[in-house]
Amino acid sequence: MRILRNRLASTLALGTAVVLVACGGSSGATVPTQTGPLNLGVIAPFTGPAAEFGTLLTAPCLAATDLINAAGGIMNHQISCESIDDTGDPADAVPNVTKAIATTSNLDMAIGLESNTAATTVPVVNKAKIPFFTTNGLVAFTKNNYSYYYRMTPGDDANGAAFAVWAVQQGYKKVAVVFQNGIGSEGNLPGLQAAMPKLGGNIVINKTIPADAASYSAEVASVIAANPDVLIWSADPQTTATFMSNYKQLNSGNLPAMVTATDSLTPDFFNAVKSAVGLDYLTSKIWLVGSYFDQTTPAFNTYKNALLADSKTQGIAPVLSTVGPPAGAYDGINIMALAMIMAKTTVGSYYNQYVLQVVLPKSGATVVNNYADGAKALAAGKTIQYVGVLGQPTFDQYHNSAGEFDANKFNSDGSATQVGTISGAQVIKLLA
Amino acid sequence: MLVQAIEAIGFGIATGAVIALGAVGFSVQFGMSNILNITYGSLMTLGAYVGLFLIDRGSNAWVALVVAGIIIGVVSVGFHRWLLAPLVRRGTRAFAIVIVTVSAGVVLQYVIVAFAGPDAKSYGEQSGQTFRFAGFLLTASQVTIIVLTLVLMLALHLLLTRTTMGRAMRATASNRILAQSCGINTDLISDTAWLLSGALCGAAGVALAITTVSFDFTLGPIFLIPMIAAAVLGGIGQPYGAMVGGLVVGIASELAASFANPEYSEVVAFAILILMLLLRPRGLFGSASATRRLTA
Repeated sequence: MRILRNRLASTLALGTAVVLVACGGSSGATVPTQTGPLNLGVIAPFTGPAAEFGTLLTAPCLAATDLINAAGGIMNHQISCESIDDTGDPADAVPNVTKAIATTSNLDMAIGLESNTAATTVPVVNKAKIPFFTTNGLVAFTKNNYSYYYRMTPGDDANGAAFAVWAVQQGYKKVAVVFQNGIGSEGNLPGLQAAMPKLGGNIVINKTIPADAASYSAEVASVIAANPDVLIWSADPQTTATFMSNYKQLNSGNLPAMVTATDSLTPDFFNAVKSAVGLDYLTSKIWLVGSYFDQTTPAFNTYKNALLADSKTQGIAPVLSTVGPPAGAYDGINIMALAMIMAKTTVGSYYNQYVLQVVLPKSGATVVNNYADGAKALAAGKTIQYVGVLGQPTFDQYHNSAGEFDANKFNSDGSATQVGTISGAQVIKLLA
Repeated sequence: MLVQAIEAIGFGIATGAVIALGAVGFSVQFGMSNILNITYGSLMTLGAYVGLFLIDRGSNAWVALVVAGIIIGVVSVGFHRWLLAPLVRRGTRAFAIVIVTVSAGVVLQYVIVAFAGPDAKSYGEQSGQTFRFAGFLLTASQVTIIVLTLVLMLALHLLLTRTTMGRAMRATASNRILAQSCGINTDLISDTAWLLSGALCGAAGVALAITTVSFDFTLGPIFLIPMIAAAVLGGIGQPYGAMVGGLVVGIASELAASFANPEYSEVVAFAILILMLLLRPRGLFGSASATRRLTA
């Protein structure tokens, strides 16, 4: 009996000690601090056929970090962009990202993580407790359990539905869907298939083509035979150039209109298609549909001016400033930086819980459109609400904020002009 | 259905002609040296970029094809003489030499990137008018490539069968030691074979760039596998077999793309290759022979 009582007493004492330590750890405990400059991981392909994306995603990083550093950094930490090459291949991405996380000091923010590699890189970054804003559109992440994951661009299924809405709005009812085989392209199909019938349209042919073939004549012949009004298209620049060239040859010089994603708003796509079928087709018959944002807001002006001010980004600023995913990455960096200030720490596992609070509408909050104003307001003891380039983010329980859509047309210099908008609510309704 | 099939066969002949051009060059090279040269793909890419350099300076695409062929022929001779031949003479194992060619191919690819950049390039619109005859639908450039391939194959056939040089090449490919003992300058014959195969490689690179319209530094390696498949299907080391193999691969791919799922167009071609090798391991025109050693 005495032995039992002693054991009970020891257990109680131990349990009490554990509780006391835990309580002492969470109330009044100091948060961890880091010394030295901060690194912001840009996880994207920097080599291989998709290397252009790495360059395009580095630009918003440079714009954001230039502004943050000019405002004194984040709690006196200067911040710089760290390129992490995922090569565009899901298998090769994992060792590269893992190594970067293990060897890069003060890596507590990340952007990028695009569609082709997201399935393998998102779990790695999440496990390392690094908050990250991703530009992938995979439907798989529409519902997810990654607490460090955030997305401010629509899923591919929503994009697909937006394509359908725009095509029908332009009067095209007979649609040929041609997608390159690949997770980034084919993710649009479910949304298209759900939306088209509800809009009174008809998918007359659905073709998945391999990338970089010597010729698509056989595939083109079957598409022509289906007599579509419009192509809903997703493929890399070279595949697009070869296919459209074959189409023009086999269709007596005529090409159908095309609806594609704003992901194609790149110099590579523009130059490849221009060389293949000419400038007139690019500027008159291609629509690029993607995330919409108002290009007259103070947030947009700050973003665009930052791109223009940096010699590394000014060349592509006119193109980049009209595309959603890079703008989403820029906003994400600002949100993470402001969350760090709110948490009084730059360590990801601590400031992550403040990320959503930065953008949450709240009574009495000061609305800020850039990092400098947000930091100043927080230093003055105010609560803030960040409204960025993509407008007011409305994150759902899975940390996704889809937003509105727009359609753009190429200009002759490769930049784009917005020509219409598509309601996000309408798109979501079509997917229901 | 019949119209669709005939059109697909026509497209296949056009695609097959480009594959045949590269496959024949590969076969000539392998037939002479017994080396599986993976650098061949990157040399095709180099040919495409040489063509681009010339066309950007006002050259006609077909003149660029000839010039690129000559340049890549010379580069191939140098590659063999100063990298591969010394390795063979030292008794380096065949597997190790294949790894050297893979590595050299990657290095060459990224040298191209360093000079020309990773973004896509184009010769512009080269297709010309579209012709419809006998149910086939082909562009002027496709017809030109088919005719060019036929002319080059005929020239190669005449070289190999009607000239002293050609006989010497066949003798050296068959038994180098015996050929040497008969007084044949086998080093000169080797150089000639590598020059010829390199010329076909460079020409294939330009032809590919014309056909695909848009290309980058991965052009050659992407198409190397179908070309090797065509060479093996026809009988490795047999130029005529490589030509027939190219046509089979091209036509099978286009028929699959037309009637089945385009994603599986290459799968069908490789499935035919595997079936052929199971039934006739030497390929369509290959001769039964003992394992041959590497020759420098």
